[in-house]
Amino acid sequence: MNPTETAAAQMVHKGPSHKRIRLITRVCWTSALLVVAVPFVFPFLWMVSSSLKSAAEIFGAPSLIPDRFLWSNFVEVFNYQPFARHYFNSIYISLSVTGLTLIIASLAGYALARMRFAGAGLIMLFLVSGLMVPEEVTIIPNFFLVRWLGLMDTHAPLILLPTFGSHGVMATFLMRQYFVALPKELEEAGTMDGLSRLGVWWKIALPMSRPALGAVAIITFLFSWNLFLEPLVFLSSLEKFTLPLSLANFTDAYGMPLWHLQLAATTLAVVPVLTIYVLAQRQIIESFALSGVKG
Amino acid sequence: MASAMTDLSTVNNGKGRMLRLSLRRREALTALLFVSPITIGFLVFFFGPLIAVIGYSMLQWNLLTGEATFVGYANYADALRHNPDFWRVLRNSLVFAAGLVPLNMGLALLLALALHRPFRGVVFFRVIFFAPVVTSAVAWAIVWKFLLQGEAGALNEMLALMGIDGPNWLREPNWAMAAVIVTRVIKMVGLNMILYIAALQSIPRDYDSAARLEGASGWQIFRMITWPLLAPATLIISIVTVVGSLKVFDHIYLMTEGGPENGTLVLAFYIYQQAFEFFAIGYASALAVIMFVIAMALTLLQVYFRRKDRA
Amino acid sequence: MRPTMDTQQATTSDPRLPALEFQNVAKSFGAVNVIRGVDLQVREGEFVVFVGPSGCGKSTLLRMISGLEDVTSGTVSIGERVVNDVPPARRGVAMVFQSYALYPHLTVAQNMGFGLKVRKMPAREIESRVADASATLKLDALLDRFPRELSGGQRQRVAIGRAIVGNPRIFLFDEPLSNLDAELRVHMRAEIAQLHERLGNTMIYVTHDQIEAMTLADRIVVLRDGQIEQVGSPQELYLRPDNLFVAQFIGSPRMNVFDIDKLPPGVAAQLGVPEGAVKVGMRPEDLSIDPGGRGMPAVLRMSEYTGGNSLIHLELDGGAPCLIVHHGQTSPPEGTAVHLTLDKGAVHFFDANDTSIRKG
Repeated sequence: MNPTETAAAQMVHKGPSHKRIRLITRVCWTSALLVVAVPFVFPFLWMVSSSLKSAAEIFGAPSLIPDRFLWSNFVEVFNYQPFARHYFNSIYISLSVTGLTLIIASLAGYALARMRFAGAGLIMLFLVSGLMVPEEVTIIPNFFLVRWLGLMDTHAPLILLPTFGSHGVMATFLMRQYFVALPKELEEAGTMDGLSRLGVWWKIALPMSRPALGAVAIITFLFSWNLFLEPLVFLSSLEKFTLPLSLANFTDAYGMPLWHLQLAATTLAVVPVLTIYVLAQRQIIESFALSGVKG
Repeated sequence: MASAMTDLSTVNNGKGRMLRLSLRRREALTALLFVSPITIGFLVFFFGPLIAVIGYSMLQWNLLTGEATFVGYANYADALRHNPDFWRVLRNSLVFAAGLVPLNMGLALLLALALHRPFRGVVFFRVIFFAPVVTSAVAWAIVWKFLLQGEAGALNEMLALMGIDGPNWLREPNWAMAAVIVTRVIKMVGLNMILYIAALQSIPRDYDSAARLEGASGWQIFRMITWPLLAPATLIISIVTVVGSLKVFDHIYLMTEGGPENGTLVLAFYIYQQAFEFFAIGYASALAVIMFVIAMALTLLQVYFRRKDRA
Repeated sequence: MRPTMDTQQATTSDPRLPALEFQNVAKSFGAVNVIRGVDLQVREGEFVVFVGPSGCGKSTLLRMISGLEDVTSGTVSIGERVVNDVPPARRGVAMVFQSYALYPHLTVAQNMGFGLKVRKMPAREIESRVADASATLKLDALLDRFPRELSGGQRQRVAIGRAIVGNPRIFLFDEPLSNLDAELRVHMRAEIAQLHERLGNTMIYVTHDQIEAMTLADRIVVLRDGQIEQVGSPQELYLRPDNLFVAQFIGSPRMNVFDIDKLPPGVAAQLGVPEGAVKVGMRPEDLSIDPGGRGMPAVLRMSEYTGGNSLIHLELDGGAPCLIVHHGQTSPPEGTAVHLTLDKGAVHFFDANDTSIRKG
């Protein structure tokens, strides 16, 4: 099924002309993949191109290159609503969730992987129960809980819910899985060297778990960054909005989208993430692979 | 002499046991301290609410007056017997899942087969197919909504160039469902592709080589070796994808708002609507419990199949 | 209260306090009893090797000294102090791990100094101790390297160095050579022996390799199923095993053991079997083919040439298999009928409980 493999298989039978056949198969495969890639790439291109068009041109004849590059859209985005503030909100909330999750998940994951204590099995079972439950199930009571705690229209629920919800549990099991596979003797050497459990965790287990910590950090950051339902339910003041909420909010008085602004804002939100993604694609993709095979 | 020895040893033993208990207890306490943040947080923000939502589902709750009366299973009866919307919503969720899951997994497997071994350009393609996964669902939905507009949408304008009169994708019930499914597949297929690639790469190449030496064709190798070996991965991926399709919210909210004519009103969105737009807390809670039961059933199914697989 | 013969003798013959003492120590994991009542005293400066088949509890015993494993019942003492509940780092012991357990993110120097740093020793003191230890172990040139940049033998030395810098009362070695190739293993074995000679500390060494045990130990502790089978010097164990298990475990190739009633006719009488004996053991290296045709009749089945000598597999009249070490470059062809003779002093008799019967 793989281009080079198919070519190699044919090589055995066809002998001398194998070079040409290999070339043809490769060209066929590559063009097929290119065709499939169109709907994956085109939306991004069209988004960027339209973000540079005027409201009028957007609805004119389609062209990938704007008649006139209208950079002012990007300025207007910031005038229409406190977009910079929203950007900042998203960054600091996602960083908080990531930091908290790393500490909490690696602490719990370490204890569950390495320490013998009564109730460990029960706690595992308890946590596992939440792994596959959609957040829509608990959003209603959480709404009342947050209101009761007086945290409505604050960022606290946006930090607490992802950290302690099923994503946090997933991160815990990911860390546990990694710790279990680490050589135990290193930590025992640490104990012999006089470290407490906390010391072993911090000075030995964590430094050796950088790949897992990196993976958890990446998927947690993106998870929090893209969260939509929770901000929608808990936030009401405009200046508290996060990016996804902000993007959805570029509408006119009738609720119709202001496309040129919305697309400019979306471009501003997406392009930095995509840039980082392309630069660190290997690590990011591997992180998701790791989180998926945990089961 | 003998008695002195015995005394000494019992003293030692007694002292030792007392201290040992405290040492052991210290280890257990440390461990409990380590797991307590996630456990307590999970209890407060997940497990408590999970119990609460079951309680809510048996209430008739007026959010404005704050009055709540116990109505037993009336909300469930309402959903299952009286409200035609519910079955419509369930059917929509089913159609959504039935469309999304095979399309997503089939495409993911095809892409993984094409991209699981290195060749020139493999990274380029992987990066492209995975890019929508890291993109926010909101941004993705906004851009596609823009592309799929009826009159001025880029897709229809391009179809027009080819002489095809495209429909108003998101405003016609049947097309709208197809559109949200396909755009969601494009958004998420990269994740399953990566999982399949990981699974394919964990299959020892010797199997493939041995089969090739025995003269098996590429298709035979796939059908008789690769596909069976992928079974565990396929199982996990399918469950995760099905449950994932159940909780799709932002995508629908932004692209169609459940419309047209409730044609894309799926369970997750329906819960949100009933709770936070119509303030039917009791009814929405009953819906949430139903969603929980479905998700749990799917998870248990996975556990069951995996057990059976191992046995 | 059933102290073994040897430990009792040790206390009477040696006036100094034991460096290490086990008193009726037991350990269980859940329902599984891993150690079942061990009594042992180790003298200061002694090199003691725990040996036994896998699962015999030798590593658990070592880990109980280190404190990495707690004691279910009984007491472990180091010096005069009962250490059952003393944390590992305060027991005055250091451990060399099977996998070396070098911290991958620290350099050689940092690895060696880590324990001292944790114990808040001044940096200058740490530096000088690391320098001393690395000079002893010829690690000076490697101090700034990371473990991944070292060869197996170098890693092993760093692991030992890490143990030395803490100046422990007792060194614990947990199968330290098992990850090395054969040649390096012989070399490191010699280095550890020299180290013991130079430092003079008490060393407890766990291995499943009886050659390591024989070459290194002042005393060997043979364990089986969580109990001590015999304690003694290598020579004692080889020449006077207490029971069949020790007899077969010590010595390579294994001692031949025959049921006395299945020996070829006349042989039993020749051996002068003591009362109660049901089995007889003869070491392969004590047996030889008698050129004059006297001794136990046997048929040669197979011969394995190993260079300096050959291992010859035979079948005694009556069907019992028998192995001998045959010196010289040639051995008779398969199927040859031969006669085996042995030095009478090296015959071991065992009773129905597999306990040795000592004649005279």
